[in-house]
Amino acid sequence: MPPASFLHNLHPLTKVVWSLAVVTAAFFLQGPLPLLLLWASVLAVAGAGKVLRQVLPALKGLALLAGLFFLFQVFLIREGNTVFTLFPAKGIGQVTDVGLYACTVLALRMLAMTSTIPVLLATTNPKDMVVAFVEKLKVPYLYAFMLVTSLRFIPILQEQLDLVLQAQRARGRDLEGRNFIKRVKAVVPLALPLLLVSIRRSRTLAISLETRGFGSGPRTHLRPLAFRPADIAATAACLLLAFLVILL
Amino acid sequence: METLIEVQNFTFYYGESPVPALADLNLTVRRGEFVGITGPTGAGKTTLALALNGVIPHFQGGRWSGRVVVAGMDTAETPCSRLARIIGSVFQDPEAQLVATDVEEEVAFGLENQALPREEMLPRIEEALTMVGIRDLRHRSLKELSGGQKQRVAIAAALAMRPAVLVLDEPTSELDPQGTQDVMEVLRLLNREHHLTIVLLEQKLAAMAPYISRLVCLHEGRVVADAPPREILRREKLLRELGLEDPPVAAFFRQLQRAGLYSRDLPLTVEEGREELGRLFAKEGIL
Amino acid sequence: MIRAENLSFTYPNGLQALKDISFHIKKGEFAAIIGRNGSGKTTLLKHFNGLLKPTSGRLLIAGLDTARARTAELARKVGFLFQNPDHQIFLPTVAQEIAFGPRNLGLKGREIERRVAEAAAQVGLTEYLDASPWKLGKGLRQRVALASVLAMGPDILVLDEPTTGQDYRQAREIMAITKALHRKGHTIILVTHDMELVARYAEKALVLGGGRLLLQGPLTEVFSRDDVLAEAGLLPPAVLRLTAPYRKAGLIPGVLTPEDLFREVCTILRGEDHAARILPA
Repeated sequence: MPPASFLHNLHPLTKVVWSLAVVTAAFFLQGPLPLLLLWASVLAVAGAGKVLRQVLPALKGLALLAGLFFLFQVFLIREGNTVFTLFPAKGIGQVTDVGLYACTVLALRMLAMTSTIPVLLATTNPKDMVVAFVEKLKVPYLYAFMLVTSLRFIPILQEQLDLVLQAQRARGRDLEGRNFIKRVKAVVPLALPLLLVSIRRSRTLAISLETRGFGSGPRTHLRPLAFRPADIAATAACLLLAFLVILL
Repeated sequence: METLIEVQNFTFYYGESPVPALADLNLTVRRGEFVGITGPTGAGKTTLALALNGVIPHFQGGRWSGRVVVAGMDTAETPCSRLARIIGSVFQDPEAQLVATDVEEEVAFGLENQALPREEMLPRIEEALTMVGIRDLRHRSLKELSGGQKQRVAIAAALAMRPAVLVLDEPTSELDPQGTQDVMEVLRLLNREHHLTIVLLEQKLAAMAPYISRLVCLHEGRVVADAPPREILRREKLLRELGLEDPPVAAFFRQLQRAGLYSRDLPLTVEEGREELGRLFAKEGIL
Repeated sequence: MIRAENLSFTYPNGLQALKDISFHIKKGEFAAIIGRNGSGKTTLLKHFNGLLKPTSGRLLIAGLDTARARTAELARKVGFLFQNPDHQIFLPTVAQEIAFGPRNLGLKGREIERRVAEAAAQVGLTEYLDASPWKLGKGLRQRVALASVLAMGPDILVLDEPTTGQDYRQAREIMAITKALHRKGHTIILVTHDMELVARYAEKALVLGGGRLLLQGPLTEVFSRDDVLAEAGLLPPAVLRLTAPYRKAGLIPGVLTPEDLFREVCTILRGEDHAARILPA
């Protein structure tokens, strides 16, 4: 399988550094515009790595989550001037200018921080990532294992979600409504079965790793991962940019 | 033949459960055997598989007593990584047990864990893939494979570690009949040509019976029958009590047997059945 | 009841999964849709609940065009039982789980209670109504899923590989319930690759292969077409394969189960009178 792009070719740790740099930058950037730009840069990297199409569904999901987060928070902030009220008669659902601004920043920050994850996954073999963690970063085997488990399940989750969707739909639950509230309510019948099915499967994987002698000591590699000049350059660039953001 | 697996009075309780999953179980498997183990859901098949490969008691906690000895090693006293070289394990769900993204890497995984040098890995991968008949899939992505092919990759991954015994826990439960038969043929070949000892835990009796030399029936954590499959399939009451599959060909000849129209051994396959039916008709002067 | 008219479907990535499929399943029939994995079975199934819409042609269910009907409207007509009940169970009690469907149809209070009780009785779950579905075994969880579908009162029941991953006894129980529902007048569609199951329960079969409908008709007719079945990658049931040489010679008719074959062979060997004596009534 020839790697599809330069992004696939980078060492897993380089991509983790990139991801952490984006997280750091998102923490320190304050305005909606810089955060939007940061998010755009993540999308640009995905585009350059030829995985934008592949990660689009995941990005949509993250955007939905950020939107939910926005909705839950925006009514809670009472400071500032009221922009509008949802139910003026009862005085419920007040939205202020301060609330709008703060929640937009928070939602965008969340979006920018989480969007690197699908890109990371789409361009990295999860097993390579765990091996890199255990060997280069000396992460204990147990934590690395928990990571591989959750990483490996993302593509499987998508398949499972499809099955869950089909099953609930057959019970008359319409999940295609445009109504936002309805879509939120629809999350529970989907998320719960998905979670439980996933836990069961992660146990199988844990047992499979155990019976194949994983985590017993030093290991060798069929395809050794090398830290190449491109990795050094990319890591340096990420660190530099994150550093600049912090200083500014 | 030399004893390879010895389970002695083994009892196991999951967590705080008052009901034992395995109750005072005894089982001996000799080198070179192809043993089928069957029983309804909850009879203890999976627990037994986990006890054989050392996941019980190393990984899965619970209360236990008795001993499991594989190739002279007590599984409770031997680390899983050491047992991994002696017992190859294959599980039910073809997706959840695979760790890599392509076939070659998947088969290499156990070898990497053993810290084998790369030069030694390559011929072993080749050998294992050839043994299960998927050499041409070596560079394919796991995503592109069918369920049956994925299970063969899982078998190859276990074989690459050159185990003394292969323990498979319902490896065909997610597969269609063709996929099931492919896996069975591979197991037959491994047993006959490569003299590998195989323990197959499976409830598809019709699919399994023609391939195994011995069938062990579990019920509520105990061995309730242990005989060649032809013997077990004669025992209609046992099959019914355990809720086991009654393979159609054997079921038909058993009915003839009971009506006094047939007295030879029960055939297990369609081919054997045709031969027996022909013999019967010839004897009765029909055709 | 169910009519497909020149139904074709092409996935957005260009893969043509169904090619010009036409069939008609009448009210009260027990039909099996058979084919290997990748034959188009799953894609066709997704048309039954409107999850996919035909690229061309159409699928009519009880007069509803699936491409236009709303999810709840279709769910009222067609009940689905999928392979893994765990993909839908999420409520704390069996009763609530069964009530989920009727609630989505907009039913309330007494009517829901009535339907839950009735559906639970149909699948033999009455004593488990207050239990947590997670604590039940897989066979019972499968029945919970079936009850939750029956509670919506569908005339048509679609079973997608209902016995895969179940043990033999659980499989037989689910099929016995299905058979009882069929007797009460439900139209049943069984989607499977298990030919023994088809032989035992279905009346007619539709054979899918490579996205085409290769063959349809009564079971004995479909199963006698070895050539088409081979093309679809399917093996006829064991009893039919066993008797193939004698069927061609006209000695044994096309029976599908070991019990029926025993009857026939007894008659051949001992004559009708004797056979009648040794056969169970």
